[in-house]
Amino acid sequence: MSLLELNNATIKFGGLVAVNDVSFAVSKGDLFGLIGPNGAGKTTCFNLITGVYKPTSGSIKFKGRELSGTPSNKVAQLGIARTFQNIRLFKALSVLENVVVAAFLRHRVGLASAIADLPNSIRETQELKDQAMALLEVLHLDKVAHTRSCDLPYGMQRRLEIARAMATQPELLLLDEPAAGMNPQESDDLLRVVRQIRDQFNMTVLLIEHDMRFVMNLCEKIVVLDHGCEIAQGPPEAIRSNPKVIEAYLGEPV
Amino acid sequence: MKYWPTRVVSILAGFGVCFLISALADASGNDYTKRLVVLAGVWVILSVSLNLINGITGQFSIGHAAFWQVGAYSAGIISVQHYANSGITGLPWLLLMMVAGALFAALAGLVVGLPSLRLRGDYLAIVTLGFGEIIRIIVQNQKPLGEAYGMNVSPKFQFTWLVWLTAFAAIAICRNLLKSAHGLPFLAVREDEVAASAMGVNVTRVKVTAFLIGSALAGVAGALFAHYEGFISPQQFRMEQSFIILTMVVLGGTGSITGSVLAAVALFYLPEKLRDMGPVTGGQLLAGAFATVLAVYLVKRVIDHFHGAKKEAAIRHLGIVLGCMALSFVLSIVLNQVPVLANARYEAEKLRMVIFSGVLIILMLVRPQGLLGHAEFSWEWLKRVLGQRRSEAAQTS
Repeated sequence: MSLLELNNATIKFGGLVAVNDVSFAVSKGDLFGLIGPNGAGKTTCFNLITGVYKPTSGSIKFKGRELSGTPSNKVAQLGIARTFQNIRLFKALSVLENVVVAAFLRHRVGLASAIADLPNSIRETQELKDQAMALLEVLHLDKVAHTRSCDLPYGMQRRLEIARAMATQPELLLLDEPAAGMNPQESDDLLRVVRQIRDQFNMTVLLIEHDMRFVMNLCEKIVVLDHGCEIAQGPPEAIRSNPKVIEAYLGEPV
Repeated sequence: MKYWPTRVVSILAGFGVCFLISALADASGNDYTKRLVVLAGVWVILSVSLNLINGITGQFSIGHAAFWQVGAYSAGIISVQHYANSGITGLPWLLLMMVAGALFAALAGLVVGLPSLRLRGDYLAIVTLGFGEIIRIIVQNQKPLGEAYGMNVSPKFQFTWLVWLTAFAAIAICRNLLKSAHGLPFLAVREDEVAASAMGVNVTRVKVTAFLIGSALAGVAGALFAHYEGFISPQQFRMEQSFIILTMVVLGGTGSITGSVLAAVALFYLPEKLRDMGPVTGGQLLAGAFATVLAVYLVKRVIDHFHGAKKEAAIRHLGIVLGCMALSFVLSIVLNQVPVLANARYEAEKLRMVIFSGVLIILMLVRPQGLLGHAEFSWEWLKRVLGQRRSEAAQTS
């Protein structure tokens, strides 16, 4: 059974059909790419999956459970986490705190204990901080753990977004243009990190990216959207030579 | 450090400080002073509780006096109608009334919170503003609540220490919340609701919780206030009061508990102290304004340098500040030689709100993030500062 399944998902904003009849299935352990020109509806797809929007028609199933209409925070609890295209960190909070907010999703101690500063709350806070710190080490952010997140350089902010999403312990990780604005060195590092996320943390990754070198190297399956419609689906080799994709997005190879 | 010993000692210390404040207020032998000490405590509770809603959770609420009023009137009316036949006397009754005030205010918080928390920023501000006025007008038209004339609350309970103990409890609640991981979702909601929600934070629940705790604390302040004063009227809970509480929060640095406390005490005492001032001449006024502007500008420089590496520059500027104060004193004498200025006399009593507002404007211009920004006082910070001093002293000797 596939982990995530979109069946004829459609959303209309007034007269504009942003996502039109899109269907694809992501299996557990996939590195799945979602590509297409600007305005193709890729981020809207993410917003549909994570409950920011409710699809006008069609269904979105996660582990066989219907997702459409589920609020964002519930979706995160079910095991889908995401990053944002235009970085949305908690700016005034430190790097560590940003990650703890996400790790807090799996907390057990109640608010009353926290207000009374009871030992179990102190212990849990420490545990969550340790967990967060471990994740920061994976993404090489442990040295800046106590820096305010808005003071980080751009590449690190992108990595922090990934660390924060991973802290919710998702099964499916949605990355929205993780390599945007990165230089070749940084995006190569990111490539390794994403593979590590899949292999070491057993997360399935669905990502949107414009850096074709990055996508073709990393992803095992790719869906191409154009004007809200799905125009191709398959392994990177097939996508690269697909005439429809070349016309709409990739352009003639030079 | 051991958990329980630290906890017990800090709670005992809290009680100790409260009784000390109370004893000092009593020792002054002056009812006015005592009242100021109590009211300062009430304002601390109010500003700390609004800081939870406004500063920490980022929900721009400007009707906080309404929750205070709900607490005051609900506790007041229960006392008036049921104290005599309740069989409970003294402190336990007051504690009971504080709980009642908290419950009713929290209920009001829920009523305004649930439907309006999907609103953001300025829209929420308008709703809370309207709500505050509605509460005041409803109260103003209730016969049992004394309509616009106000209501006598009997019996009076004047426990200075209890007011401050409650203030300490309010501070402790906020501080513990921020210390634990539980506080982070509140901050996350302030920073970015969409991202918070995507990380599994139940945004609505966080906002309602903040509103509940904040309004309950304001309700407790109301119950204490009503029983201390023995008289409450709708005039005491007007929109201006809400704005003063808001000003305290903003001035202290939105989100900083320490800032809210300091700003509450300062903003409460400043206008009260200005009452004591005699009439001033035009010359003194001009010199004073000049000195204030200069001093505030320079203090900003001092702070900047102090945080930076240039400690000497900070000290130099501190010297300039003192120099300016001397200069403005001389200036006031010189300006007083000008007959027009010397003959223009102003009652300080009438000027006090002008001065008060002027100080606020200047402060916001030079330090928009508030006195403390997001910074907090902590024992670790104190230890670090003292430790630094000591190591510096060791190096020089």
